[in-house]
Amino acid sequence: MEEADEMVTPGEVLGKATDLKAGKGAYAASHNNTIYASLTGFRRIQAPPPASNDKRPTVEVTGHKAHGPVPEPGSVVIARVTKVMARTASADIMCVGPKSVREKFTGIIRQQDVRATEIDKVDMHLQQDVRATEIDKVDMHLSFRPGDIVRAVVLSLGDARAYYLSTAKNELGVVSAESSAGATMVPISWTEMQCPLTGQIELRKVAKVVN
Amino acid sequence: MENKQSSSPASFVDSTVVPGDVVLDLSSMTSQTIKLGGGLRQDCDAISAMKAGTLRFSKPNKYWIESSQKRYVPCVEDTILGIVVDSKADNFLIDIKGPAMGFLPVLAFEGGTRRNIPKFEVGTLLYLRVVKANFGMNPELSCTDASGKAAEFGPLKDGYMFETSTGLSRKLLSSPTCPVLEALGKKLSFEIAVGLNGRVWVNAASPDTIVVVANAIMNSESLSGAQQIIMVDHLLKNIQ
Repeated sequence: MEEADEMVTPGEVLGKATDLKAGKGAYAASHNNTIYASLTGFRRIQAPPPASNDKRPTVEVTGHKAHGPVPEPGSVVIARVTKVMARTASADIMCVGPKSVREKFTGIIRQQDVRATEIDKVDMHLQQDVRATEIDKVDMHLSFRPGDIVRAVVLSLGDARAYYLSTAKNELGVVSAESSAGATMVPISWTEMQCPLTGQIELRKVAKVVN
Repeated sequence: MENKQSSSPASFVDSTVVPGDVVLDLSSMTSQTIKLGGGLRQDCDAISAMKAGTLRFSKPNKYWIESSQKRYVPCVEDTILGIVVDSKADNFLIDIKGPAMGFLPVLAFEGGTRRNIPKFEVGTLLYLRVVKANFGMNPELSCTDASGKAAEFGPLKDGYMFETSTGLSRKLLSSPTCPVLEALGKKLSFEIAVGLNGRVWVNAASPDTIVVVANAIMNSESLSGAQQIIMVDHLLKNIQ
């Protein structure tokens, strides 16, 4: 059953908790059993699933164009590196999964989350002993540069300033980078990219492109 | 025979170039490795200048552009004079007259451990070495040499610090000894520390000596060797 959609703003009363269940964009205040909106958007009522015991319809607030995707722990994001420092690199998250975000999210890649082990420096065919972890010796400047596009996974919501991101998998890392001469570089190994104009090789943590 | 203004390397070395001049044409040179120093940039086959200055060449294959500025661009292994601006948990923030603050890790001292972290007041002058200087990142500094020994690095007590251009700092550090320092050293005894970032520190027993040394160095920027000696003699006559 669909009612005429009306525009609501955060704090508006949507109904009583005895009649309705709070869905996306709404919440129930326990002290007076009322459902309030927590986002701006259109109020929509959805019929209750027939199999459940709870006969209350769900009310949700959706549809406003500012409701873009939000990074969640475990989601793969595409980010542009903004700043590289001694032990961290900052990045602006541009896409969550296949969708681009509508507002700015900042992520941080810490030194210990750049790569899993030294395994990507060893030729796997040679079967040498791989040092378990030298992850604290990662040189951030040899993994990322400002302006690189990286694929990373969200580790956690992090602190108030930024999400914590990780590139510690083969398919994560730098996807596209520009050389100091200004040309888009071609990846040639796990750790190197080459500029097609000057032939210079620059070091990055390169993401394995899976077709 | 045509007299072309050819772009062969010999014609540009030791002459003044401005940004945009193509100083080397790689297609006309046989296969050799060339090392490009500061101020030069490669665009496919042409090496062009990015800074205004004099193109210099040193055997076997190093080219670079020398110029003198007031601002310093941090370079690895340079010895500089920095001033403490702030101290954070892991490092001191140091002003080095460059585009960004330098970071001096609190452990970057001989025998430095978490228990004996030095306490530097804001404004302390330090003699430092640049460890890492990557574009876009704050340079990392150290108070030890490459092997971990203190070797003269660290705070400079007393004395007087004044600022110069980077070109004058390099001249003061060149060997054989620069004429102005040699002339001053013959008559006066003083201690001097030169930072490649355009800062010089002088210390001596009496303030008169310090002032004479500082003035002599500041005057010597545009003088030739012989003129420097004459200038120093003139200054010393006035105080004796």
